[in-house]
Amino acid sequence: MTANPEAPATMTSQRSPDAPLLTVDHVSKTFPVHSGGWRRGSAAVHAVDDVSLEIRGGETLGLVGETGCGKSTLARCIARLYDVSDGTITYDGRDVTHLQRRDLRAVRREVQMIFQDPYGSLNPRRRVGSIIGDPFVIHGMGSGREIKKRVQELMERVGLNPEHYNRFPAEFSGGQRQRIGVARALALQPRLVICDEPVSALDVSIQAQVINLLIDLQDDFGLTYLFISHDLSVVRHVSDRIAVMYLGKVVEIAETEALFTTARHPYTKALLSALPIPDPDVADSRSQTILVGDLPSATDPPPGCHFHTRCPRAQADCSASVPPLEPVFSDPPGHRTACFHPLDTGEELPSDASALPDLASHPGAADTSGADRTTTTGGEQQ
Amino acid sequence: MSGILPTPASSEGVASEPPVPGEEREGTEKAIEGRSPWLLAWQRLRRDRVAMISLVIIALIILMAIFAPLATAITGHPVNEQYRQTGLTPDGLPTPPSGEFWLGTDDLGRDIFVRIAYGARVSLLVGVAATALTVVIGVVIGLAAGFLGGIVDTLLARLIDVVLSIPFILVAVALVSITGPSLLVTVLVIGFFSWASVARIVRGQVLSLREREFVEAARSLGASNSRIMFVDIMPNILAPVIVYASLLIPVVIIVEATLSFLGLGLPPPTADWGGMISDSQNYYTVAWWFVVFPGLALLITTLAFNLFGDGVRDAFDPRADRMTAEVSGSTIEVSSGTVEKATE
Repeated sequence: MTANPEAPATMTSQRSPDAPLLTVDHVSKTFPVHSGGWRRGSAAVHAVDDVSLEIRGGETLGLVGETGCGKSTLARCIARLYDVSDGTITYDGRDVTHLQRRDLRAVRREVQMIFQDPYGSLNPRRRVGSIIGDPFVIHGMGSGREIKKRVQELMERVGLNPEHYNRFPAEFSGGQRQRIGVARALALQPRLVICDEPVSALDVSIQAQVINLLIDLQDDFGLTYLFISHDLSVVRHVSDRIAVMYLGKVVEIAETEALFTTARHPYTKALLSALPIPDPDVADSRSQTILVGDLPSATDPPPGCHFHTRCPRAQADCSASVPPLEPVFSDPPGHRTACFHPLDTGEELPSDASALPDLASHPGAADTSGADRTTTTGGEQQ
Repeated sequence: MSGILPTPASSEGVASEPPVPGEEREGTEKAIEGRSPWLLAWQRLRRDRVAMISLVIIALIILMAIFAPLATAITGHPVNEQYRQTGLTPDGLPTPPSGEFWLGTDDLGRDIFVRIAYGARVSLLVGVAATALTVVIGVVIGLAAGFLGGIVDTLLARLIDVVLSIPFILVAVALVSITGPSLLVTVLVIGFFSWASVARIVRGQVLSLREREFVEAARSLGASNSRIMFVDIMPNILAPVIVYASLLIPVVIIVEATLSFLGLGLPPPTADWGGMISDSQNYYTVAWWFVVFPGLALLITTLAFNLFGDGVRDAFDPRADRMTAEVSGSTIEVSSGTVEKATE
C-alpha cells in the first residue's frame, strides 16, 4: 500500500493533531438550468447533494463513482473553484467556505489541484517554464532567476528534462504533460493536492508511471491527496480510505481493505463485482452484478435513496426517506454506509438483474425496460 | 523519458532554417528552444510566395513613406511647391509626365510623384494607427465581455450591436464638420467605428477559452481576473486578431482615402492620396495622370496588404485553405493550388 505509515505527515496541523486537515460538512452544489432566453424555470442540477467528508493529514482519500456522479464538482468546490450552494468547508480548522479572493490566497497556496486533461490544463501558448513558474509569479515569490532555478528543480523532480524549460506543451507527450501539471501543483509546496482523475486520460503504461510519481512525491513532501478516479483498481492502489459517490451523494466510506472485503452498500458491491479479474477461471466463476438502467438525471433525482431505482435490494422504505451515512452492523466508526438494507459480510447481490422489484417508476429514473438492459458498469470500469 | 523527444533540429526540415530576422525572441542562445506557435506561423508564411512578394511591396511603400524627403531631394521639388510656370500649361492645366515631372503635375502645378511619396505617409500612418486603436479597444472590450460575463457581457454586447448599426459615413461627416479635419480625428473616427467587429470576434473566442481547464488551473493558483484575461487567455486569441488586423489595414487605408475624397480627411495642402483623387475630378478628362497615379498607389498598397493578410490567415490556420497531407516525406497537394512546399 502506498500511504507510508512509518512517515506520517511532516507538516502537522497547528490544531489538535487528530483534527482532519479538511472537513466537508453537508456541502451541496446545484447548478441552475436555464431554459429559453428568459431565465424562467427553477430547474437545477444537484451535482453534489449534502456530502460530508473529512480528509486527514498525510492520507490519501480515494473518491470513486461513475461519470456524472459529482466527483469533479465536489473537488472543485473543495478547491474553491466553485462556490458551494450549501454547507461548509473547513481547511485546517478555518472555515474557507465563503472566503473572497484576497483571503483565499493563503489557502490556495496549500490546496492545489491536478487536472484530468493534460491537454486542456496547460496553456498551449505559453512555455512550460512559464506555466510551472506561474505559482511563484502569482504569489510574488522570487526573482526571475530564482524562479527559473526552482522551476528547473521541479521539472527534474517530476522526471522532466529541465532543459526543456523553453518548450511549449504541444511538444510533450500526454504523460509528460501530466508531469508538468504535477510540477505546477507542487510548486508552492501545498499540503493538500486534489487529483481530479489525474491518469484517466493517459495510456495505461503511462498511468503507472504517473501514479508512482504521485506516491513518491507524497512520501517526500508529506502530501495529503484527495484522489478522484473512476478506476477502482487505481484508487485501491493509492488510497488509504475510499469514498463511493452515487448521484451527488456519498453512499459508503471505509478503509480501503474494508471496502473491498466487506462492502455494505449494494452500489459498492456492484462496482466491485465489475472489477476485471486477471484469472479467467476465477472471473467465470464469480458472481457479477450487472446494474440495470442509467444514472438517473441529477436535475430530478429520485426521492429517498438515490440508488433505489437501480438497486436489487430496494424496498418501499428506500424511496420514502434518505438513509443516513452511518456505521451498519458492527462496523467501526470509520466505515459508514448510507443504506437501509446493507449487505452483511459474505452476502452477495442477486446476480440476475431481472430480480429487480418492480418499483413505482419515478420520473427521474432511467428506463429500465428490455432493450436498455445492458451493462451499465462500463461507466466505472474501462 | 527525455529520449522520446526529438530535438528541434532533427524534426522536419523547417527547424534547421536560420534564425528569423526581426523576430524578437528571448533566449535564442539556448540549446533547446521550443518552437513557438508564432515561429511556426512565420515559417509557414515564409513559404507563401505571394505573401512574401506582398511583404516586399509593403516594405517598399514603407520605405517610400519614410524617405519621402528623398523624392524632393532627387527631383528638387518640395511637396507643396506650386510650379505655375513650368508645371502648368499656358491654359493653366496640369502637365503630363515628363523628365521634369516624372508622373506629371496636378491642378496647382505640384509634382504628383513627390506628393504620392508624401501621401504614403498619411495612408500608412492612418492605416496602422487606426488599426492599432481598433485592435486595442476591440480586444479589451471583447475580453471583458467574454470573460467577465453576466451583466458586463450583456451591456457590452449591446454596445457592440449599437456601434455596428451606426451609419459610419453619416456620423463621420457630422463629427468632422464639428471638430474640423485632422489626422487625430480621422484616426479616432475610424477606430471608434471599427472596434466592434474585433470585440465580437474576441468575445466569441474568449467564451470558449474560459471554459478550458488551464483557466481553472490559473484560478486555482490564485491568479486574478486581469491576470487570467491578459496572461492566460489573450495569447490564445491573438492569432485571429492578428489575421483580422492584417486584413483591416487595407480597409482603413481605403476608408481614410474615402474620407479625404469627401473632404473630411486631412486639411489641404497635406499630400494625401484620397485628396489627390478628389482634386482630379475636374481634370481627369484632360489629365489622366492626375487620377491614375494616386489611384494606382492606393490600389497597389491595399492589394499588397490584402494579399499579405490572406497569407497571414493561411499561416495561422494551415488547414483552412490549402490542404496538404504529408505522406512519407513528400507533400501531396490535396486541393487546387501550387505545390510550393515540395519545391522548397
